[in-house]
Amino acid sequence: MEYQKPTINKVDFRLASKYGSPLKEQRIKGEIDGVPVKELVEKFGSPLFVFSQRELEEKYREYKTAFSSRYPNVQFWWSYKTNYLDAICKIFHKLGSKAEVVSEFEYQKARRLGVEGRDIIFNGPYKPKHILRQALQEGAMIHIDHFYEINDIEDVARELGLKEVGVAIRCNMNTGVYPQWSRFGFNIENGEAYEAVKRLYKGGILKLVGLHAHIGTFMLSSSAYRVEVEKLMRLKNWSENQFGVEVEYIDIGGGFASRNRLKGVYQPPEVIVPSPDEYAEAVTGAIYDNYQGKLPKLYLETGRALVDEAGYLLTSVFATKRLPDGKKGYVVDAGVNLLYTAFWYNFELFLDKRYEGLNEPSQVNGPLCMNIDVIAENVMLPPLERGTIMTIWPVGAYNYPQSMQFIQYRPRVVLIDTNGTPHLSREADDLNYVVEKEVVPDYLK
Amino acid sequence: MVEMVIDENNIGYIPSLGTSFQLNETAKEIILMLKQGKSKDEIVEELAKKYNKDWREVFIDVTDFMEKLKIYGVIQ
Ligand SMILES: Cc1ncc(COP(=O)(O)O)c(C=O)c1O
Repeated sequence: MEYQKPTINKVDFRLASKYGSPLKEQRIKGEIDGVPVKELVEKFGSPLFVFSQRELEEKYREYKTAFSSRYPNVQFWWSYKTNYLDAICKIFHKLGSKAEVVSEFEYQKARRLGVEGRDIIFNGPYKPKHILRQALQEGAMIHIDHFYEINDIEDVARELGLKEVGVAIRCNMNTGVYPQWSRFGFNIENGEAYEAVKRLYKGGILKLVGLHAHIGTFMLSSSAYRVEVEKLMRLKNWSENQFGVEVEYIDIGGGFASRNRLKGVYQPPEVIVPSPDEYAEAVTGAIYDNYQGKLPKLYLETGRALVDEAGYLLTSVFATKRLPDGKKGYVVDAGVNLLYTAFWYNFELFLDKRYEGLNEPSQVNGPLCMNIDVIAENVMLPPLERGTIMTIWPVGAYNYPQSMQFIQYRPRVVLIDTNGTPHLSREADDLNYVVEKEVVPDYLK
Repeated sequence: MVEMVIDENNIGYIPSLGTSFQLNETAKEIILMLKQGKSKDEIVEELAKKYNKDWREVFIDVTDFMEKLKIYGVIQ
């Protein structure tokens, strides 16, 4: 007989159910797009971020089809902040997405990847004049966040000798969903957004060509989008009547949910996350119900829903211990410095193969030597060996761009192409990279 | 050690506590050895020999297991 790690678990009859025993169920993922996780770790090291191009393309097509089959003029703008790894941006641009950026850095990154200024939407509350100047010169579409920005754009336009500049304004509103993202742009309910449109025309240079809002992220209610679009359409109609212009587009921002598990939400994602069709129905239905004159173009800045499920983080078990409360503790080589979103989501943890033995309440901790470094606080796991590879999923949205060099070097990133071939897409950090920008003042040398 | 009765499905029952436990094969072997009064070192040595494993690894597993027995009140 084979050796099994000894396990003992109190029998809790409340845990027994017709869906199988939580003491025996194991979630297993031995490969990603046909590439064994073991091979990935052997070749590229552990921990390792892995992205699946297949999954990215599939999700993009799903959303594209849901909207394009209902509406004639749909354009996706890749939200850089959600994941600005060059390889990921390239894939979205090849698929037909343009770029949505919110800072000088993101703007420069998009330009560096060969995206033309006119194919960039520039959002965000902080656009210093020098980058506004570049963006206006290059024909980027500016979405204005506040009254000061109107002044700045007018100043820069005058400096550049531009007679007329098309702009959009960012709006915020109550869509019945909390928290309300009310810090960005101009409020609809108190009339500020209407004031902003008046102000644009009062200056004599700016012209309203678009209306934008982003109502929040991981929005589990498709009807919130119906409210959003209705309010934007009302403002659009008003602006057109008032100033005799055509507002060419409405941009509904991002916010569609992925199949992740928000902490504190107990239904499974399959039950509560709306489908692309449900979102699309809400958005396009509200445009059809409220438009006058020409149909506007529909812009989307979908981030999370397109990339989250395409991202995995592989991590290896380094050690185990028995915690004083009886839980099994695992030390793995990936920490929360790579998983910023671990504070809001309970990820799925997959094992590389089936393990002998019964599940027991376990906690998975990273390598950081910080008490907050918890990847999973309460999971049922069988006794795992040193070297067991766990796959953490879905982690494609916001984790890579927010990962930080902290205590440990950041790992490599691999992209698996549609043929199932893995490609290195980012090198791991090393000491030189980390200290490159440091300066020791002369007096300390 | 408190009295534990183990049935053919590896369910251990402690009459004095009224609680039941699910065990696996190795767990059962260890409990039987504990009942016979064997020490931790003897158990580690015996298991390592029987399964042809590095004793240092078996030591970690047995230590871990006994910690859990203590938490459950099976041993002191
Ligand atoms: C202006 C804007 N657009 C798009 C997004 C992408 O949102 P999501 O990833 O929720 O789709 C964000 C995220 O914060 C945003 O601020």
